[in-house]
Amino acid sequence: MDFDFTKEQLMFKQELIRFAKKEIVPRVQEHDLKGEFDFESFKKLGEFGILGLHFPEELGGGGADVITTVLAGEALGEAGVDGGLTLAYGAHTFLCADTIFRHGTEAQKQKFIPKLSSGEWIGCMGLTEPDAGSDVASMTTTAEKKGDKYLLNGNKMFITNGPIADVAVVYAKTQPELQHAGISAFVVEKGTKGFSAGPPLIKMGVRTSHTSELIFQNCEIPEENLLGKEGEGFLMAMQTVEWDRSALLAPFVGSATYLLKKCAQYAKGRVQFGRPIGQFQATKHKLAEIRIFGEAARSLVYRIAWCKDQGRPLNHLEAAVAKLYVGDWSMAPTFDAVLIHGGYGYCHEYDVERIFRDSRLAPIGGGTSDIQKMIISKLM
Amino acid sequence: MNFDFTQHEQKLFKEINDIMLEMAGEKYLEEKDPVNAGKTVREALIRLANSSYLKLGIVKDEEIPGLCVMMGAMEIVSSFSQSLYLSIEMSTRLFGRIISTFGNEEQKKKWLSPVLCGKKLGAVALSEKTMNIDNDQMETTGVRESALIKISGAKNYVINGPVADFTAVAGIMENKPALFIFEKGSIGLIPGEHLVTMGYDGLFISGLTLDECRINESDVIGPFEDKSAFDTLRMWENQIIIGGSLGMMKASFESAKIFAKTHKTGGKPIIAYQEVAFKLAEMLTLFQTSQLFAYRAAWAADAKSRESDILTYCAKVFCTEAAETVSGSALRILSGEGYISGNAAERAYRCAKYGQIAGTSTEIARVKIGNAALGA
Ligand SMILES: Cc1cc2nc3c(=O)[nH]c(=O)nc-3n(C[C@H](O)[C@H](O)[C@H](O)COP(=O)(O)OP(=O)(O)OC[C@H]3O[C@@H](n4cnc5c(N)ncnc54)[C@H](O)[C@@H]3O)c2cc1C
Ligand SMILES: Cc1cc2nc3c(=O)[nH]c(=O)nc-3n(C[C@H](O)[C@H](O)[C@H](O)COP(=O)(O)OP(=O)(O)OC[C@H]3O[C@@H](n4cnc5c(N)ncnc54)[C@H](O)[C@@H]3O)c2cc1C
Repeated sequence: MDFDFTKEQLMFKQELIRFAKKEIVPRVQEHDLKGEFDFESFKKLGEFGILGLHFPEELGGGGADVITTVLAGEALGEAGVDGGLTLAYGAHTFLCADTIFRHGTEAQKQKFIPKLSSGEWIGCMGLTEPDAGSDVASMTTTAEKKGDKYLLNGNKMFITNGPIADVAVVYAKTQPELQHAGISAFVVEKGTKGFSAGPPLIKMGVRTSHTSELIFQNCEIPEENLLGKEGEGFLMAMQTVEWDRSALLAPFVGSATYLLKKCAQYAKGRVQFGRPIGQFQATKHKLAEIRIFGEAARSLVYRIAWCKDQGRPLNHLEAAVAKLYVGDWSMAPTFDAVLIHGGYGYCHEYDVERIFRDSRLAPIGGGTSDIQKMIISKLM
Repeated sequence: MNFDFTQHEQKLFKEINDIMLEMAGEKYLEEKDPVNAGKTVREALIRLANSSYLKLGIVKDEEIPGLCVMMGAMEIVSSFSQSLYLSIEMSTRLFGRIISTFGNEEQKKKWLSPVLCGKKLGAVALSEKTMNIDNDQMETTGVRESALIKISGAKNYVINGPVADFTAVAGIMENKPALFIFEKGSIGLIPGEHLVTMGYDGLFISGLTLDECRINESDVIGPFEDKSAFDTLRMWENQIIIGGSLGMMKASFESAKIFAKTHKTGGKPIIAYQEVAFKLAEMLTLFQTSQLFAYRAAWAADAKSRESDILTYCAKVFCTEAAETVSGSALRILSGEGYISGNAAERAYRCAKYGQIAGTSTEIARVKIGNAALGA
């Protein structure tokens, strides 16, 4: 076993942290308060090469391996980039662009990947529906073949980047009478007749990412927008959620490091009972909990990245274990961080309260903790 | 990065597993009777000496894998018997490592070789009345008396204490930390009563009184310039406890899983009920997270990483607490069957508490991790 990163990977991480601290983090607070998506930061991520990091250079990507790609997510978290922007990046790059890259035809890749890699276009992915969340196979959105077109009807719910996306990967049933085997995946472009997005939902956290409903009313799309073959959608969705359970978890690992530094700094400066609160063992205990969570999560997340780099496309158990751990165990450290900051921690000025809110998505998005337990118990 | 063990390493795991499986098939490995338990330990040592298990972490050689593999191997032995495991580890990975790291060639020949061949049993006596060496100065002292060193003091809770062939006793000499090595039967070396403990049924633990024991100067290791040598011992002890915790989780998880798949109520195996299945999922998550934590901390120690000590403290807190949680959950799944003495989960549950107390206690470990975050 070897847990080391290469020198290049570590240098890349440091460079990205420096970049994010200078170019992105200063705008986080303002956008979080307003609940606005930060287009400028997103564009800058594209310019830095983050949005298409793992795609081949010919398609405008960076040609990076999965470990480096996951490291980028950790770096963003460690720099203090908020959960909203990292979620928007994750949904764009992994849930949308990667699905097109893995399952698209050459023409589809050429058309979409370069523009998604640069950030010129924003992507989203629609799987969840108002009445089909955990139970994906019960989705009711249909795609009916009409000559050389498909007619999409139905609604998708909680779609990250929904209101701002130029491109959506959408799952719909081509054979509604079937469960998983009836699901197919399509690319739908903004402006397509019959396709619209609802207004941004007002959320507890990840407020700089826009989440909305996607509405399909007799939405006509050309047959060349089908990804892969009919009936392959569920498998694609499973491969996609594996990113949800690795790359999208990486910011939580970085965020633990960010929290630890922030809390330690505060604890050294805040004096009560005549001494810095960092001198009380109870404060040290909380700092230790944050560190322990971060280190535990780190190995789990990089294990999946490594598996993917070994060419193992599906790692259900590893992915579910990582998602369950990060989902459930990331709650307590953010609570400790707020407590260390006392009353200030409850106020927006110290961004620990934002991180507390942002983290609450961890056990829900990308498959709830219960669903991970279902997967794990079935695999044992 | 690489998250797999090599084929060569997996072959070693299989060898160790086969040895332990064979022993477990022949006899109960948690025998409470001290005479029988002593025989079992010595037999296990001889058998394990046929593999490279006893040399892991001690002998530096191309053929002997590093600490990550040591951790994986420890998990296997501990999963069969926690008592046997701790007894073996105190002899090899603590006593043996002391001699191999700090001893001279003559001392190695005298004490290390027989321990690594599995022919002799070692013990280490660190703790005292106010035991935590983090807080208090030790009271056991050695003073020169012409050509000999005279040692007086008392030690608490010494694993293998009453039966060890060699005992390394930590103390102070010329105001500096030192280790005094005694052979069994040394005059003035008086083992206390066999202590009955909550867990570790088949382990010998006793206090040790040193009543003006005399040894040659050549039987002293040190004195050391500072207490960092003792800190190193604590880290080795922490590694032993981490490896032991993995074994407890493995044994408890496996027994609960098998039970959940085979035991039926309401016409179906109980794993069909979410309350049971989800508990197993949480247990496996904690177990796998602990494994990765343990391997990474061991890897960092091997790589002499600057972070190694802190990662070991983190892994120790995590794994020892996870061991209690996992074995506790296993007991709930096993229900009545688990509550009967001798069940793997029941044994692990009783042993798990020790891991949080011994070595660097989880409280002190958290303080140290916190200090590191504060740059203190
Ligand atoms: C901010 C945000 C962004 C999101 N982004 C996207 C996106 O970009 N694309 C997308 O497709 N989706 C997205 N989602 C949706 C997300 O994946 C779903 O919310 C999630 O899968 C849960 O589905 P649900 O909300 O319908 O809850 P439900 O499935 O209704 O679950 C409700 C509760 O019941 C529990 N439960 C359900 N089934 C079981 C069972 N069998 N056993 C035990 N317990 C069960 C769940 O664990 C949960 O606690 C997003 C959600 C949020 C909040
Ligand atoms: C079964 C068993 C076998 C053992 N085997 C051996 C052996 O072979 N060799 C050996 O040398 N030792 C052995 N020990 C001793 C073991 O290492 C000690 O029990 C351990 O170091 C804790 O010391 P203590 O019990 O005196 O607790 P104390 O140090 O008195 O601690 C009591 C409580 O206070 C907390 N505490 C203490 N100081 C601080 C502080 N500064 N900050 C915060 N909290 C603090 C502790 O965490 C603990 O919760 C064994 C113990 C047992 C139970």
